[in-house]
Amino acid sequence: MKREHIEYTPADTPFRRGIHHGAAGDLAERVREERARRAASRLDLAPPPAAAGAAMAAGGRVRRRLGGPPIVPEPLPRAAVVALNRLGYGPRPGDLEAFEALGTSDEARLAAYVELQLAPAGIDDLEAEARLGAAGFTTLGKNVQQLWQDHFLGDPDWYTRLRPLLEVERAAFLRAVHSRRQLVEVLTEHWHDHFNLYAWEYVAAPTWAAYDRDCIRAHVLGNFRAMLDAVAKSPGMLVYLDNYANHVAGPNENWARELLELHTLGAAHYFGVMRQHEVPRDRQGVPRGYVDDDVYEATRCFTGWTLDEDTGGVAFPPDWHDRFQKWVLGTYIPPNRTAAVDGGQVLDLVAVHPATAHHVAWRLCRRLIADRPPQRVVDAAAATFLAHRSSPHQLREVVRVIVLAPEFRLTWGQKVKRPFEVVASALRALAADLTFALEDELTDALLWLFDRSGHARFAWRPPDGYPDEAHDWLSTGTLVATWRLLNWLIDAGDGQGGHAVAVLPPAEAGTSAAALADWWIARAYGRVMPASFRDEVVAFMAQGRGSAVPLPVATDSDTEHRLRAMVALLFVAPEFLRR
Amino acid sequence: MKTTRRTFLYGCSATVTALGATRLSFARFAASATDPNLLVVVFLRGGADGLSVVAPLDGPDRAVYEAARPHLALPRSGAGALLPLDGRFGLASAAAPLHDLYQRGKVAVVLACGLTHDTRSHFDAQEYMELGTPGTRSTSSGWLGRLLTTDQGVPRSLLFPSLAVGAAQPSSLRGYRGTVAMEDPDHFLLNTGPWKWQDAQRAALRRLCRPSGSLVHEASSRALDAVDLVESLALESVPPAGGATYPEDEIGRALRLAAGMIRLDVGLRAVTLDVGGWDTHVNQAWSATSGDFHSLLGSLAAGLAAFQADLDGSPTGSWGERVTVVVMSEFGRRLRENADRGTDHGHGNVMFVLGGRVRGGVHGDWPGLAPEQLYDGADLAITTDYRRVLSEIAIRRFANPAISTIFPGYQGYSPLGVVAGSDLTPE
Repeated sequence: MKREHIEYTPADTPFRRGIHHGAAGDLAERVREERARRAASRLDLAPPPAAAGAAMAAGGRVRRRLGGPPIVPEPLPRAAVVALNRLGYGPRPGDLEAFEALGTSDEARLAAYVELQLAPAGIDDLEAEARLGAAGFTTLGKNVQQLWQDHFLGDPDWYTRLRPLLEVERAAFLRAVHSRRQLVEVLTEHWHDHFNLYAWEYVAAPTWAAYDRDCIRAHVLGNFRAMLDAVAKSPGMLVYLDNYANHVAGPNENWARELLELHTLGAAHYFGVMRQHEVPRDRQGVPRGYVDDDVYEATRCFTGWTLDEDTGGVAFPPDWHDRFQKWVLGTYIPPNRTAAVDGGQVLDLVAVHPATAHHVAWRLCRRLIADRPPQRVVDAAAATFLAHRSSPHQLREVVRVIVLAPEFRLTWGQKVKRPFEVVASALRALAADLTFALEDELTDALLWLFDRSGHARFAWRPPDGYPDEAHDWLSTGTLVATWRLLNWLIDAGDGQGGHAVAVLPPAEAGTSAAALADWWIARAYGRVMPASFRDEVVAFMAQGRGSAVPLPVATDSDTEHRLRAMVALLFVAPEFLRR
Repeated sequence: MKTTRRTFLYGCSATVTALGATRLSFARFAASATDPNLLVVVFLRGGADGLSVVAPLDGPDRAVYEAARPHLALPRSGAGALLPLDGRFGLASAAAPLHDLYQRGKVAVVLACGLTHDTRSHFDAQEYMELGTPGTRSTSSGWLGRLLTTDQGVPRSLLFPSLAVGAAQPSSLRGYRGTVAMEDPDHFLLNTGPWKWQDAQRAALRRLCRPSGSLVHEASSRALDAVDLVESLALESVPPAGGATYPEDEIGRALRLAAGMIRLDVGLRAVTLDVGGWDTHVNQAWSATSGDFHSLLGSLAAGLAAFQADLDGSPTGSWGERVTVVVMSEFGRRLRENADRGTDHGHGNVMFVLGGRVRGGVHGDWPGLAPEQLYDGADLAITTDYRRVLSEIAIRRFANPAISTIFPGYQGYSPLGVVAGSDLTPE
């Protein structure tokens, strides 16, 4: 059968080149090389050989503790610490104080903070906006047609093609560190995982600014059906899950399967190889889950959804669509309708399915509360999801129910920060002033080291998104890569002979080992740490001297370097991984 | 100052320093009367199309195969012709390096093998297989971790019986503390930050990791141990032996690292490697020899052949005899190709077992490709549960009969005969 579309795809369009692992044309490899090259002068990974002996001697003076400290469970910290670490990327200087001023009790302050964050338009975010402007980004405001025109058509060079993705990648760091709309950033990270794309390829990369802005950000506090619609019609998703090649003469089930399994009903509601009529139904007569035949039937509904290669928009060529009747999730889909109508009805069905409510709620609770979130909260969030299914603020209501549940605070510490959160929270505590601009060597070096953590932004290949449970992020590889980055950051040069981040507290804080340790513990953690923890940090800074003895930290570079290593110690410590 | 490798094999390094080297050597010799065997698990992520790796050469199934795959069927003659295995089946020409090994009796091909659970989801299928609990994704440990935990020959004091090549730890080793997850030893050093205070900070960090019973502390402590271990290694002392030439790509680098780590004799019992890119819904191949699938397969085959040559050629350790390699994927793909020169998610697949103690040849029953012989009317059926092969390796290569722990609920085990070794009654 003649299928023009398929006949020319292999030879002439670059859609699939580079999508598969290790294939030639993967843009990520090119970027890694470029970053390494540009960052080389800022990496300085090897110590001067002659210094090794001195380093050993310094290590030998560290006080040894005999026997481990008792295991004291960390007490529940104040609401400010929980909120700023779970609804944001950790406190910046001044954040804890601002939170405390929001009310007279922890409950009142948390409720007030949540309301502020749930209405991001009301938050003055001029500083982050100014930084985005100063970084010289030029693609973040372009719509998909402009991006297609400027960065895809005419086979531009690799850098032009990638630029929208590189800008979004950097903007993600910039906003996590500087935006005051922290909850939006946390939720954006979450929904990028929910609707994951591997972005470092030929269609997703040039259109990434639109995907991030129009498909994800615009909806994180909005309506799920609207988000689903935007995602389904995005050029990146059409290609990533092969719906662009879904044709009546050759259906491709990749999109329909992941739509049901990952985006909506969830694998927990997959009944496998079973006939549709055998699936148990709820009291409303709705099947409780889906089977392979639902995947195949939904695939038929989506035949004829493809990519308009002139505009980057979705196209529905009429003769590509399977026009016969279908049967999806217990619903009859009549014959002789268009692809847009059939596919749209599938999205309607799955967007309000009770299994979807549960799946979406569970994923949000796992992100915001605990790896095994309490069932009560999941159920409440799912009920809210359904009750507000037609509301333009559906997801805002769901998030509110989750974060105002008592379990939100009581489960403190049960989540492990992923590398992006570790790095962003360290940058925030340091009030680091990176530009995140394109071609900035310092940013390149940071991203190059960050990629080793396994959490490189928008680079997760399978469609299930970056994992979100503790065991996924505590491997030796991830921890070592994160430690290397944090220690590099604390010592990184600013290109003019100084350091990129400042560590000296204000003079009134004092310069004794105890004063320096306490000031930085308050800054990095904002909570009271066990005495054994504090003692260790003080001892590191004191190096055998009295903890109250003033240290020449502002005048002696060796002492200043020790302070840097002490600050990094706070970031690499296991306690810093808790949220 | 580099310390010798053996210093770090057992116990945490702080303890090591206190104990001194003599005691450690004793611990090592006491623990291993014979040289232990190793298992290398290569997981092909995405559902590799086994019917484009091993295909029927003759008979009615040949005709079905060709009819179902007008663009993708591997030819019997001409360019890219199948390399005969046993008269009935042939190996893809892209996998020629594996065919050489096969002819030397070092490759067992298991037909129609896989996960019998009826899921066509990548993520469910991978988790079920790796956790070793089909139907359950919430299991807190993986089958390979349980194999090591129940292996009486793995001393408790051995710090890192397993290596996961990559930044992450796979689900087959979920929660298993004795794993070094490492992609590149050059990036596994704590050599950043103010140089003069690197060692002191590391010592302080180790003390901050001490509270036990906490996931983050234990994991951080393990990561420090792993850094100590890797720092002490001299990978440059084990360049590829036996004329091994690894492909210059991700697969080649990973296998080369695995061979190097094995040959350094750091006490490894298991190594995992992931190879992605097998989810070929679109444009799987342009011809019998070209396209993404064939390049990937070619790279894998070349890498595995180099790996075996490297181990066989090693002047010490008789690694070529001690290492068993398993190559598996979460499922095979649909018999019928789709309209995009691709294949969709299927069921049964081929599995490979490689090594010096493998019983080379084609194993397992072939279920046939006639419509009524297919799984769900569409896919190659499964005649050999993947757990059967892995259980045999546990028993015959590791003398570990704890099958009911490694694969809870798995009944009716009997050896298929893919590896040499003594049989034990499963427990």
